[in-house]
Amino acid sequence: MRRSLLTVAVVLTALLLQAAVVNRLQLPGTGPDLLVLVVVAFGLAAGPTYGVVLGFFAGLAADVLPPADHSLGRLALALAVVGYLAGLVEDVEERSVLTTVAVVAIASGAAVVLYAGVGGLVGDHRITASAVAHSLASTVIYDVVLAPFVVPLLAVAVRRTEPAA
Amino acid sequence: MRDSRRARLILAMLLLTAFTLITLDYRSGGGGPLRSIGNAVFGPVERAATAVARPIGSFFASLGHLSSYKSDNNRLKAQNQRLLEQLRLTDADRAHLAAAEKLLNLAGRAQFRIVAARVIAYGSSLGFESTATIDVGSQDGITSNQTVINGDGLVGKTLDVGPSTSTILLGNDPEFTAGARLAGPTQSIGHVDGGGRNPITFTLLGTQAKLAVGDRLVTFASIHDRPFVPEVPIGHIVRVEPTPGQLFSSGVVAPYVDYSSVDVVGVVVGVPRTIKRDSLLPASPTPSPSTTPASPSGSGSPSPSASISPSPGRRSSPTPSGSP
Repeated sequence: MRRSLLTVAVVLTALLLQAAVVNRLQLPGTGPDLLVLVVVAFGLAAGPTYGVVLGFFAGLAADVLPPADHSLGRLALALAVVGYLAGLVEDVEERSVLTTVAVVAIASGAAVVLYAGVGGLVGDHRITASAVAHSLASTVIYDVVLAPFVVPLLAVAVRRTEPAA
Repeated sequence: MRDSRRARLILAMLLLTAFTLITLDYRSGGGGPLRSIGNAVFGPVERAATAVARPIGSFFASLGHLSSYKSDNNRLKAQNQRLLEQLRLTDADRAHLAAAEKLLNLAGRAQFRIVAARVIAYGSSLGFESTATIDVGSQDGITSNQTVINGDGLVGKTLDVGPSTSTILLGNDPEFTAGARLAGPTQSIGHVDGGGRNPITFTLLGTQAKLAVGDRLVTFASIHDRPFVPEVPIGHIVRVEPTPGQLFSSGVVAPYVDYSSVDVVGVVVGVPRTIKRDSLLPASPTPSPSTTPASPSGSGSPSPSASISPSPGRRSSPTPSGSP
């Protein structure tokens, strides 16, 4: 229960920070994607089942949050896979910072590729080779830079709200 | 790998759900009921979040100035600090006021009836989209497919409209296309296309017309002025693309509007029967520098600096119809 509340609060904060602050900063490139980071962090801390469900619903929220303008379900699909992938690394013994960073890099890349891939299937004009390359490089680099700060912080929060099991 | 069988099952189910959603949304052409719900629910939340987030910028800007107060005249220093703070907030207010004044000036010259608004969120979706949320909606008389302008020219058009917020498509989004006309005697028409990461392009329709660097572009009215009203400045040509073997010539456009930092905008809700041709364009190919605003009587509080912005309450639209 406490964990669900924490999850909802963190996801909402990430969504609003992204739309109201991060996208406004005019960072070079496309800027970080906070939601991918959040989904990866929860997946790493709480396992694949939690990761996939959280990824799906967080993605769906991002799909309907204005000013999004793409087919519903695209980010839900991408982030469900990201949450699952991160969850698979949950119980690797003695996870180092390097592993975490590698997982974030792979997950961010996977999110962009999946989102763009499905967009290509439904004929989204925004998906061009150069746009994908740009988004891929930018999202991965920014998220990797932010990962050492965000992921451990959320891991602690998740552990604090661990269900008694 | 703990409970990976169960996780895989859930993954498969959710992926199926996602594909179903994507297919349904694609078939209905977007803007389904879920999106309207999103606009109605998240719009006010975003608006509130931005109200909190906007001063954060000035806060971070002032952090560097928080000096220690341990010297003898720390009272004076504190006072000085407070005054500096006020000055900084007034700067933000002044910029806001200048943008609003420019917008009203353009709308007044065109005799457009506009609903003024502010941008409360920018879209990105992993960097592929160039959209924004503004703080006016159907309660303010906004509908989808209306022209959005600011003091410099064409900003974009409205997409989905919620009760108190709307989504707009910015002019540099790859999905953006608008009819455009060359200013001057030739009157040749064509279309302007947003390029995303690439520059905005203009394609001239008709094989007779010639395109030259410095040519200025304005919108060409759509049918019933939806989505675009006529004569709104767009930008000027900075490069003519060599198009051997192509029927139509095209060029790269430098827009008058800086899409990455639009803040004060106006949604055009009414147009006069006639607008004098090319009357809204800036004089030279390069956009003229903004005029300095009248000194604002802004106090220290970050209150909305003029009665122009309807951001906090629902006020009626400013209708600058008295001016020429």
